[in-house]
Amino acid sequence: MWLRSASFVLDKRLQQQEPSSFFHDPRDSAQPPPPSPSVDPMDQNPDPNPNHGISAYYQTRAEHHAVVSSDWLAQAQAAIGRGAAPPSGCWPSAAASSAVAARTGSVGGGGGKPFSVIDEFNYWRKKPDLAEAVAAIMALAAVIRSSEATTMMELEIELKKASDTLKSWDTTSISLSAGCDLFMRYVTRTSALEYEDFDAAKLRLIERGEKFGEISLKARRTIAMLGQDFIFDSCTILVHGFSRVVFEVLKLAASNRKLFRVLCTEGRPDRTGLRFSNELAALGVPVKLLIDSAVAYSMDEVDMVFVGADGVVESGGIINMMGTYQIALVAHSMNKPVYVAAESYKFARLYPLDQKDLAPALRPIDFGVPIPSGVEVETSARDYTPPQYLTLLFTDLGVLTPSVVSDELIQLYL
Amino acid sequence: MPDVQALVNDFVLKLKRRKIEGSHASARHTAELLRSVISHQRMRQTNQAGALIDAVKAVGEQLIAANPVELAVGNIVRRVLHIIREEDLSSTATAIEGLGLSAGSDDDDEGQYEDRPALSAAALAAAARSTLRAPSLQTLLGDIPGSAVTPQPPSSWGDSEGKSKSDKNLRSRKLKHDVIEAINELIQDIDTCHEQVSEQAVEHIHQNEVILTLGRSRTVKEFLCAAKEKNRSFRVFVAEGAPRYQGHVLAKELVGKGIQTTVITDSAVFAMISRVNMVIVGAHAIMANGGVVAPVGINMVALAAQRHAVPFVVVAGSHKLCPLYPHNSEVLLNDLKSPSDLVDFGEFSDCMDFGSHGGSPLLHVVNPAFDYVPPKLVSLFITDTGGHNPSYMYRLIADYYSADDLVVKQRSTS
Repeated sequence: MWLRSASFVLDKRLQQQEPSSFFHDPRDSAQPPPPSPSVDPMDQNPDPNPNHGISAYYQTRAEHHAVVSSDWLAQAQAAIGRGAAPPSGCWPSAAASSAVAARTGSVGGGGGKPFSVIDEFNYWRKKPDLAEAVAAIMALAAVIRSSEATTMMELEIELKKASDTLKSWDTTSISLSAGCDLFMRYVTRTSALEYEDFDAAKLRLIERGEKFGEISLKARRTIAMLGQDFIFDSCTILVHGFSRVVFEVLKLAASNRKLFRVLCTEGRPDRTGLRFSNELAALGVPVKLLIDSAVAYSMDEVDMVFVGADGVVESGGIINMMGTYQIALVAHSMNKPVYVAAESYKFARLYPLDQKDLAPALRPIDFGVPIPSGVEVETSARDYTPPQYLTLLFTDLGVLTPSVVSDELIQLYL
Repeated sequence: MPDVQALVNDFVLKLKRRKIEGSHASARHTAELLRSVISHQRMRQTNQAGALIDAVKAVGEQLIAANPVELAVGNIVRRVLHIIREEDLSSTATAIEGLGLSAGSDDDDEGQYEDRPALSAAALAAAARSTLRAPSLQTLLGDIPGSAVTPQPPSSWGDSEGKSKSDKNLRSRKLKHDVIEAINELIQDIDTCHEQVSEQAVEHIHQNEVILTLGRSRTVKEFLCAAKEKNRSFRVFVAEGAPRYQGHVLAKELVGKGIQTTVITDSAVFAMISRVNMVIVGAHAIMANGGVVAPVGINMVALAAQRHAVPFVVVAGSHKLCPLYPHNSEVLLNDLKSPSDLVDFGEFSDCMDFGSHGGSPLLHVVNPAFDYVPPKLVSLFITDTGGHNPSYMYRLIADYYSADDLVVKQRSTS
């Protein structure tokens, strides 16, 4: 039965596209296989999918929030030594410096464009506090600034091209494409409306795009205010993965002197939970770490589950770090509410029907021991949680039930 | 002004002492009181809406604090605030259009100047309309802070000074008049809510059905009587609704109308539910997520109905629709009434003596007034606007309430 399902066909087709398998054991070193040396996130050529399935989005998140283990570092070192160009996805300082060099140097890219929107995007993305969508919109605002168009139509076409480039560069990041779509929609609506003067309109678009960073921060604060109402004294909260928005909520609740404790899952393979627990302990909140398998075991002492979201889809479900669906299922079966904290620019026009309906976002997993070559590894970094397992979504548009999400999307896009 | 304050104090006292019982009476009195407050309010020249809103918020804060469990009071306060905002907006919009037209007709030779007022007016109207709606994805990027919009209209029409002054006087009186008209409509709606709900009875109650209800709700009574008048033959099981036993009163009333009735105890609900076609109950309040605050015992009926796949229908007037979310519903939304309903004075006087045992008796008697029914147990809401799904409640709330009014707090600086 598995052989005939659509998902198997898809997997098969993907495998056929890549002649080299991901996981060959390096008999020379005792380390787990490094990422394929052909991977080059900082590729100057705007290659449609230079990452071959390794999700740059999740790689960035790992950099920002994960525990950098020694063997991961060694892996990165080895890859630098082996590869032609520095795979700067693994090595933040090198990436930042090369990105800065690319920006300041006028003829930066082998792609022939003096201004590369991807470089701009990567520059903004490296900042750990900035959300993906904000980085995308900043990049698009920079495109407007450096554009030589003289009419709105020309500007829109340029922006569309830049937005498509960004989206194809990392097909796995939902907030990236949602942010691009939102900005494009705003540009189309603004151009249709008020401004007679092209320069004034252009200035306004640039200003709005750059202000979006503030909007995103304000969004987090609004969500924190809404969410902390639901945290009552002596409650136990389960969190999964390091979401900056959820952290804001907990921070605000702690500063309002609410007494609660947090159960934090480890969040393999990035182990983002360790980082999250560090931050929470710094706030003085009692934290308990669980391995991912211990969630069902601890679920009866939990009062509510708080997760963030990488993307909110049209059905009202969410796409988040691997493990969220599992936790939502357990919580639902034990009648515990699952609350999602997500900014509204993460709403995307996707409607996945099952787990395999999403574009694959893969992350190599470090098991600590070499894996024999015949053994496959499930490397997907994210899963889809259907709306019936979610109780409420806290967004900057207010507290929403999952059914409101599609209403909002319809209002914007149709 | 002093006599209005006396009225307010009188009402606050009645609420505190629970002299006013039931959401219908509370809602009506609140609406009438706010109408008097507004009609006695002296109108300033500028920003009349702001002054009205402040006055209503000041009174509203006192009323809500007097009886926080009576959610209908808060609902009506927020409805009135929304009415003020809406009327202000529609009067501004018509004034803008009127002035836009006049500006266009006056100066023909100043072609450039002619465009400006019309354009900016259209932009202002569009922006104003969008600020009244709840924040949505559409307004995310084009975010104009609310304070910037409202003072603009009077200042930008410097060219027609004389006209604007008389306009303003007209507008201020018109605003008050419009608001009072709208509040009269609201009072009308509150009064006729039972008839409007009952009109839909024929669609839901069919021949030879068996209906279960608990306690006595006036809305349910009129609903059933309306179906009887349309010559539907059906039977009613009435659960008595301990400890007040209002079910007995309802049974007598139904028999008076010629409906075949059976009285059962609350504990017998689970035993009888398999013979029932539909459960119809009233509500104390409907929360924003579709959950219901209902008289105690109805949660049990809802669970029994779900277990046996019986539709659970809640009938309520729209003044019971509350824009708040029930976080911590057991503590915040419940009223503990006197134990004398359960036990007679003197029966347990030795066990319940607070003087002995160091001040803490071994026996407690708890008499909660309300139950919270989660939205997934409710099949249908019948309000005076029609029948709705629990997940649709957010739409009605967006129609009736503004997002700014969720916390009714008087601004410290006016």
